[in-house]
Amino acid sequence: MKTQNINIEKEIATEIQNTFHTAEVNIKRNKRIEVKLRNDLIPPFLSYAKNYLTFNHLAHFSCVDWIEQNEFELVYIIYSYEKGVIVLAKTRIDREKAEFVTTRHLWYQAETYERELHEMFGINFKGNDRLNEFILEDWEGIPPYRRDFDTVKYATDNFYTRPGREDAKDVRENVTKINKEEIPEFAKEYSVRSLK
Amino acid sequence: MREKETTLYLGPQHPGVTGNMMVKLKVAGDTVVKAETHVGYLHRAFEKLMEQRTWMQSFPIVCRICVPEPDPNEENLARAIEEIEGREVPERAKYIRVMILELSRLAAYMLWMGGQAGTAGLYTVPQWSVGDRDYIIDLFEELTGGRIYHMYIWAGGVRRDLPEGFADKVLRTMDYLESRLPEYDKLFFENAIFQKRAKGVGIIDKDKALEWGVVGPPLRGCGIKHDVRIDEPYEVYDKLDFVVPTHEGGDVWSRAMVRRQEMEQSISIIRQVIDKMPAGEYYNKVPNPLNWYVPEGDAYVKTESARGEFGYYAVSDGGLKPRRVHVRGPAYVHGVSLLEKILVGANISDVAFIMNSLGVCPPEIER
Amino acid sequence: MIYDKSSGKIVDIIKNYARKHSLWIVAYGTGCGAIELPPTMTSRYDAERFGIRGSATPRQADVLLITGYLAVKTLKRVIRTYEQMQDPKYVIGFGSCTINGGMYWDSYNTVKALDRYLPVDVYINGCMPRPEAVISGFIELQKLIEAGKANGAKKYKENLDWYRENQRKVIKNWKMPDYNW
Repeated sequence: MKTQNINIEKEIATEIQNTFHTAEVNIKRNKRIEVKLRNDLIPPFLSYAKNYLTFNHLAHFSCVDWIEQNEFELVYIIYSYEKGVIVLAKTRIDREKAEFVTTRHLWYQAETYERELHEMFGINFKGNDRLNEFILEDWEGIPPYRRDFDTVKYATDNFYTRPGREDAKDVRENVTKINKEEIPEFAKEYSVRSLK
Repeated sequence: MREKETTLYLGPQHPGVTGNMMVKLKVAGDTVVKAETHVGYLHRAFEKLMEQRTWMQSFPIVCRICVPEPDPNEENLARAIEEIEGREVPERAKYIRVMILELSRLAAYMLWMGGQAGTAGLYTVPQWSVGDRDYIIDLFEELTGGRIYHMYIWAGGVRRDLPEGFADKVLRTMDYLESRLPEYDKLFFENAIFQKRAKGVGIIDKDKALEWGVVGPPLRGCGIKHDVRIDEPYEVYDKLDFVVPTHEGGDVWSRAMVRRQEMEQSISIIRQVIDKMPAGEYYNKVPNPLNWYVPEGDAYVKTESARGEFGYYAVSDGGLKPRRVHVRGPAYVHGVSLLEKILVGANISDVAFIMNSLGVCPPEIER
Repeated sequence: MIYDKSSGKIVDIIKNYARKHSLWIVAYGTGCGAIELPPTMTSRYDAERFGIRGSATPRQADVLLITGYLAVKTLKRVIRTYEQMQDPKYVIGFGSCTINGGMYWDSYNTVKALDRYLPVDVYINGCMPRPEAVISGFIELQKLIEAGKANGAKKYKENLDWYRENQRKVIKNWKMPDYNW
């Protein structure tokens, strides 16, 4: 990245560091600050960022499945319209006993994100009473966005798939025969090359 | 006397609803008491499918997330990859990208105009605006080969250069569309039926708008001037001269006025882009698409689409395939939590009208 | 038109001729293909000159246009919509994803072959099919209707058990009314 003026980012980063000593704060680039926190510090951090640092826009709330470490990474992406900076607040929770607390009291729209993550990853958000069916209907089995869910296997097991052309023949011969046309010389060469 | 409450299912098969979604309404008389959105009818599991494909193979997938305006998706994924990799994009490609994004914004507004008028019972407007939108679609077809899905923007630049004489065609189309705008004013925006229907309907509280996560034209319709193009300029928006229109009121009418003025701005941006576009390469040399390893890292990128901030959170684990790409469509907030709030107290006949003005696009919600 | 004994009663010929010129589509945008319907129906391509137009409710409509992939959740609603429609009724599969799953071949939530669940009369391929392709598909359907070969609804009634078996395989919680037609 080019060297840009990152004074305001430095200011916010030091302020966060001074308030949350255990947080791992680094400036990714201009307008992006990454904050890694212990999972019990996330609710106070978000409330602090919203009320004192004017990060009042919950832009995104995501989850990444790190199956190798047996952990889910929750990422809150919050934006301050005043400062024009995005903070990515990250924390890790256990994958087997996936539980977290809701942030619905801070942002009303967090409810929707939590409903989705509950359905797709099976994370239980304590305090959110609307974790009902959202996108899927009558889903049984493991939540589909977990890495160990095999979508190809599920699709071939449950749905009828139409057999395709497995011979990979050049269909243009048949098409030209029906239409009584001829494949031009240059195109013939092309078709041979593409088959190799 | 209190009227008896009834449950009314609006959609998924309903001509007014914006796409395939359902709103479960509790109504007393014809006033909505409680609204609950039900989505998931268009769930194709894009984010799961992207984990099965390489980064480059994900491009045909992402553009199908939003049908009226697919280009912000491609732009977002391309910029996410570029940010993780630190890849530079040639100047010409940046200008072409801005042109594509603005053309698609215009096309989306044209389609919105048809939908908004259709839900108010004005059936002439769609005949005009959807017909005029086809001029833009024709431009896309000449440039990219596809009418709806373009798959034109990719990491490192754009897929092909502008064909000969294309810039003139774009300028001619812009001249034509600009000459049509006063006619649309007469037909639609100054129409007494539309004004009476739109004013004071579907009001978003100005104090709450930012906290509720409202973005795009609905936010600017509340009189709050925020736009990703000026807050965090991407590509070459910082070199272009344009204003971000706002309108006080927060109702359907002010959202319509914001969109109407943005159409003018888009036309002006496209003209500037063509004027300033430098010569040169339109893409940087990229690795073999089937063997393209993206280094470890994550990025959140956002683009201003016709409906508001469109964000992508992409995570790479250093492999061929994305670890996770999570999409945040503007309709994700507008179509669920916001809609449920502002529909309360509205008329049944205004439900589809309000949904249209918020730009609810269900495939963005469930993907 | 020349009367030909082999093609059936003269009443049928007149009926089919009338039917082919009035095809009303259910306004149900089931997938992303619905984006090409506004251009098809409005001033540029103007499908109304072929007697094709939209209809708000399934009971007044003749054609169920499946505009693209069907999520399992939508399939349930589509089956209900189809069963509510009155005879004569036809189904058009629109887009590659109705034929073989298209680019969603490995998705866990979309059905791959529409004709296992509903009787499809005409398929229009492409992703997305252009308005010209849509109109050409409708003309193909009109030809079938005129020849008396668009008998998807009859096929559905006769092989209801087979269709139901396939439908129930995908839809887990079957809570649907039985229409007695």
